[in-house]
Amino acid sequence: MSAVLPKHIPVVREASPGLWALAWRRLRADRVGMVSLAVVVAFLAMMLASYAGLIAKDWNKERGVSYANPAFLAGAENLEAKEVTNKDFGTQAKPVDLSDIDPLAPRYKEWEERAAKIAVTEVKRAETLPFGGDKWGRDVLEKAIKGSEVSIFVGLTAALFATIIGTVLGALAGYWGGRVNDFLEWFYNIFTSIPYILLILAFAAVFKKGLDTIIVILALTGWTGIYRLVRAEYIKHCGREYVKAAQAIGASHFSRMFVHILPNASHVILVQLSQHVVQFIKAEVILSFLGLGVPVDMVSWGTMLAEAQNELVIGKWWQLVAAGASMAFLVTAFSMLTDSLRDALDPKLK
Amino acid sequence: MHLAVTLLAVAFLAAPAAQASAAVEKKVLRMAFRTAEAGFDPQRIDDRYSVGVCENLFEPLLTYDYLARPVRLVPLVAEAIPEPQEGGTRYTLRIRPGILFADDPVFKGAKRELVAADVEYAIKRFRDPKNRSPYGWIFEHKLVGLDELADAAAKSGRFDYEAKIAGLEVRDRYIISFKLVEPDYNFLYLLAMPNVVPVAREVIEAYGADTHAHPVGTGPYVLKEWVRRSKIVLEKNPNHRGYEIDARWADPADEWDRRALDSLRGKRLPLIDRVEIYPIEDEQPRFLAFLNKEHDLLDETPFSFIHQVLPNGRLSPGLQALGVSAYREEQPEFTYDVFNMNDKVEGRENPVGGYTPERVALRRAMILGHDRDREIGVLRKGQAIPAQSPVPPGVVGYDPAFRASAQDYDPPRAKALLDTFGYVDRDGDGWREQPDGRPLMIEYKYNAGSQESRQLAELWSKSMADVGIRLEAVAVQFVDLLKDKKVGKFVVAGSAWIADYPDAQNFLQLLYGPNSGTSNEAHFRLDAYDRLYLRSASLPDGPERNAVYRELNRLLLAWAPWRLGVHRIFNHLQYPWVKGYKKHPILYTNFKYLDLDVAARAAASR
Amino acid sequence: MAAYVIRRLWQMIPTLAGVILLIFFLFNWVGGDPAQVLAGKISNPEQIANIRKQLGVDQPYWYQLWVFVQQVFTFDFGRSWSTNEEVSKILLTRVGPTLTIMVPVLVIETMLAVAFAIMVAYVRGSLTDRTIMVICTTAMSISFLVYIIFAQWLFGFKLGWFPVQGWSESFSRNLLTYAPLPVMLAIFVGLAPQLRLYRSFFLEEINQDYVRTARAKGLPEKQVMMKHVLRNALIPILTNIGIYLPGLFVGSFLLEVFFSIPGLGREIVTAVNRSDFPVIKAVTVYLAMLTMFINLLVDVMYKLVDPRVSFK
Repeated sequence: MSAVLPKHIPVVREASPGLWALAWRRLRADRVGMVSLAVVVAFLAMMLASYAGLIAKDWNKERGVSYANPAFLAGAENLEAKEVTNKDFGTQAKPVDLSDIDPLAPRYKEWEERAAKIAVTEVKRAETLPFGGDKWGRDVLEKAIKGSEVSIFVGLTAALFATIIGTVLGALAGYWGGRVNDFLEWFYNIFTSIPYILLILAFAAVFKKGLDTIIVILALTGWTGIYRLVRAEYIKHCGREYVKAAQAIGASHFSRMFVHILPNASHVILVQLSQHVVQFIKAEVILSFLGLGVPVDMVSWGTMLAEAQNELVIGKWWQLVAAGASMAFLVTAFSMLTDSLRDALDPKLK
Repeated sequence: MHLAVTLLAVAFLAAPAAQASAAVEKKVLRMAFRTAEAGFDPQRIDDRYSVGVCENLFEPLLTYDYLARPVRLVPLVAEAIPEPQEGGTRYTLRIRPGILFADDPVFKGAKRELVAADVEYAIKRFRDPKNRSPYGWIFEHKLVGLDELADAAAKSGRFDYEAKIAGLEVRDRYIISFKLVEPDYNFLYLLAMPNVVPVAREVIEAYGADTHAHPVGTGPYVLKEWVRRSKIVLEKNPNHRGYEIDARWADPADEWDRRALDSLRGKRLPLIDRVEIYPIEDEQPRFLAFLNKEHDLLDETPFSFIHQVLPNGRLSPGLQALGVSAYREEQPEFTYDVFNMNDKVEGRENPVGGYTPERVALRRAMILGHDRDREIGVLRKGQAIPAQSPVPPGVVGYDPAFRASAQDYDPPRAKALLDTFGYVDRDGDGWREQPDGRPLMIEYKYNAGSQESRQLAELWSKSMADVGIRLEAVAVQFVDLLKDKKVGKFVVAGSAWIADYPDAQNFLQLLYGPNSGTSNEAHFRLDAYDRLYLRSASLPDGPERNAVYRELNRLLLAWAPWRLGVHRIFNHLQYPWVKGYKKHPILYTNFKYLDLDVAARAAASR
Repeated sequence: MAAYVIRRLWQMIPTLAGVILLIFFLFNWVGGDPAQVLAGKISNPEQIANIRKQLGVDQPYWYQLWVFVQQVFTFDFGRSWSTNEEVSKILLTRVGPTLTIMVPVLVIETMLAVAFAIMVAYVRGSLTDRTIMVICTTAMSISFLVYIIFAQWLFGFKLGWFPVQGWSESFSRNLLTYAPLPVMLAIFVGLAPQLRLYRSFFLEEINQDYVRTARAKGLPEKQVMMKHVLRNALIPILTNIGIYLPGLFVGSFLLEVFFSIPGLGREIVTAVNRSDFPVIKAVTVYLAMLTMFINLLVDVMYKLVDPRVSFK
């Protein structure tokens, strides 16, 4: 099959900068693409702003009562807000005296004096929040904004790593061929012969938990598709005249691989990268459902959805909607942008 | 397309046939377990759910009365409750003759009678290394000669079941006598545990490694079908002699007791023909399956849905209209957080360990700073009571007058205590440092696979941030959490303990020094505590022992190797066609005491 | 042909060896041992050592690898660490329910996706095409978890059209009562990406020279689509289904967990949560083998569909 390579249109060879300028012009003409790009940029801006602490800084503050109603549902009955602490349980009894055995007893007096000076501040909790509150009374809107930070970060970094692994291995296999190619193909076959979700679960079963683990798992399991495409590009380009010319003027292997060929394969890589971002943002949800990763003092869309699992049944739909909708919005825009990118970079397909 | 049509036709033809067979009015009870079972070899399991199934397949020598509260031991296959002899070191029981095992191909069509040797064999199995019995510890250092037998087996690789030991004396076909290494007035509780049950040796040997799937006992039910982790089906054991409800210990003022007696008195139990159990771990499907009447019972309503079921503490009007009733149970269990008391964790300094006043102060301050009120109010939805001691209500040795203010949420006192002992923020980063100026960072390990566990970790992290202590919550796989706790590879971690038998001792042994590395996960070693504990173990129930228990609890509060959590309250729901319901605090299931009004159910589901 | 198949089978050996190495690396080297879980509430170091010995995890790595290789080829993975059931038996009993869900999903989804894709490809570039593509993209963007939670609540509980969850022994009852909601959900989620993919396959073919030739010859557009385009697009579609097939056996663990379907996916998730390594190892190795065979099968089928492909 691979022997039947179509003769490629010479445009690509002529000028690689022209390709990008051309693509940009095509993309600018694509209204859907531009809108998607705007949405993606807006999300990225939001993510950066939240990272810099400009917005949603206090997402972890408990402003409202438990499951505070959204502002537009003010006044609806909220049974969850009533906190029964059973604090009075057994208060009739006198607290047990420990002073005869307590290692702290010598400093009781100092302790009491200091305690008396510390004022107790009673926090007033709001009955409603703009888009409702979660279990702890945190604003779900702020959570969703803060959540974008982790989710997009995970998606982008994991995609970046997967792309780097895929590109490097693909370049090696495609450029060198022979033994190197055989070895890497073997490696590729191993990873692709295990169904993707099973591969993720197998990795998840043994690795330590943490944000970095999520990224590592996604990158280690997600590079195969990119590898295949990049390898094909390299095989195609290796025989091209411009590469032979580079060789003639004494360019090193490394330089030929990454300075000469890479730019010509970069449109494929870019499309793959953005496709994987989408895929990985969605995968984060699954991993969070399994309790892997995101630490408790952080929030991601995945942890929000995992939390919201039972909230629909008790009528508190807002967290599910806030996280589900923000994710859907970004992912839709990202996917459409990917489509437009592909169309702009590879007009043959359209 | 043709295939689909054929399938449809087959299904429609099959449907009426299935209905016709159901018309025999079999009483089928359906319910969910919230966790998957492990298997049904009684000596090889310890999880509540598998043991719960075994309660119906096997019968221990003694058991608990269904209705009596506080719980009361009654004979089951034994003829009577024995009196302790030889200063609490000998117990002798006689098995009722004529009790039969359920039929099994291994018996080759013959009826097999239960004999004393079956009890001896079963107890030896607990210590056979091959069985990896998770409850082996209950017979460790307990019966004369058994430890030696187990040691020999560990060396030779083969347990000698033929060897006679003084601790397990089979006097004749029906009489067995236990000789204990030291006095133990709680020993009879062990004989009522649902996995300390006689098994037939020939059955165990015939099924080899498959004993989990072939439970053959003398219980009222047999295992009809088992799809691991998905479905467990029990059906009546035709060989079973039947029970009768005992009204003597019922409380006439208690509505549940009255209702149970009304529907069960004078009937030959069990009444349910078939029990279908479905393990469903996720809360939404489990809850909805009950609401949709796909199940007849909902065991342990998930905390998330409490306000749907019991708004303002009363059953919701919707459920009331359906005639559902809710049984509120204070389970004999408690949750707690363990501080590692060792000086070092994995070679590094452990900031919470040790017995110096500063370390005690840090632990006590963390306890005072932990917002237990929100744990109960938000996470448990009010369905828990704050623990004052590890001993839960309903357990022998529980002291209702014991109140521990050292465990109450009190942030000003927490901060004051930290200030007093020099845990102050020296570099102005918002976090407190250790008294000698080094940074303070506490690691809390929790189970990655559980939302509940994650939320508890979240609460710890928030509460500690409020008093200026930096706490990092680390998620680990459940397996690793257990392992890390046993070997002391943790700083702080959550735990829970449910009574194996209803005595405070079962809880207080968790801090006994020599149990370090086994049940004493804190690795707490305090001479005063150990001395008192040993004393309590040799005393029979009474005011003297209660005074010792009180001292033990005071030591625990002062040195704070634990943060005491809560005693959870569980709400069990039943549709009105389930009759005779009452929950037992120690026994997990009650199928053998239930009845089902099949007609009412059919009418309601129409 | 026979020579080709034999050569391909021969080539599978190194891949299989690689899979075995990878799994071994993950579970025997990176992963810990579950002795503690099996030991129960109270245990001492001797008990732990005893359990480790029984599981064979105290042996040197080379020996463990040898045992693992034997297990793969004797189809005997021993018993589950957590329930002591034979692993082979677990696998056999779990495949049925998973396939009961996934085969209808595959069949219906492929039929719908091909039909819709050829329709939108026919009207490519039109408003209908663009609208459908946007809907597809949006539908794909919502998390599967959200769909499941919402649909179970709405159709199972609020509207009561389907049971919330459950499974029985009767195949017809499963197919007609319990499967429809999960199957619908899986199709709903899977359709959009398939449709997009198949549309691109059709577009690729439409731009080929032979299609232009056919049009130039004056064949009506419908005939061109059905005869030439569909036939040729079948090759990438088949490949895609081939890629999809092994995943069929894993099923959707989210669906299985939420709808209490006793399938392989649910089994794997439980195994992951309980660190029941023999189960995960066995599933992974056998599915990898299955994948390799399916790939071979797909390649052989190419030959039958497309005479241009030669067996080199």
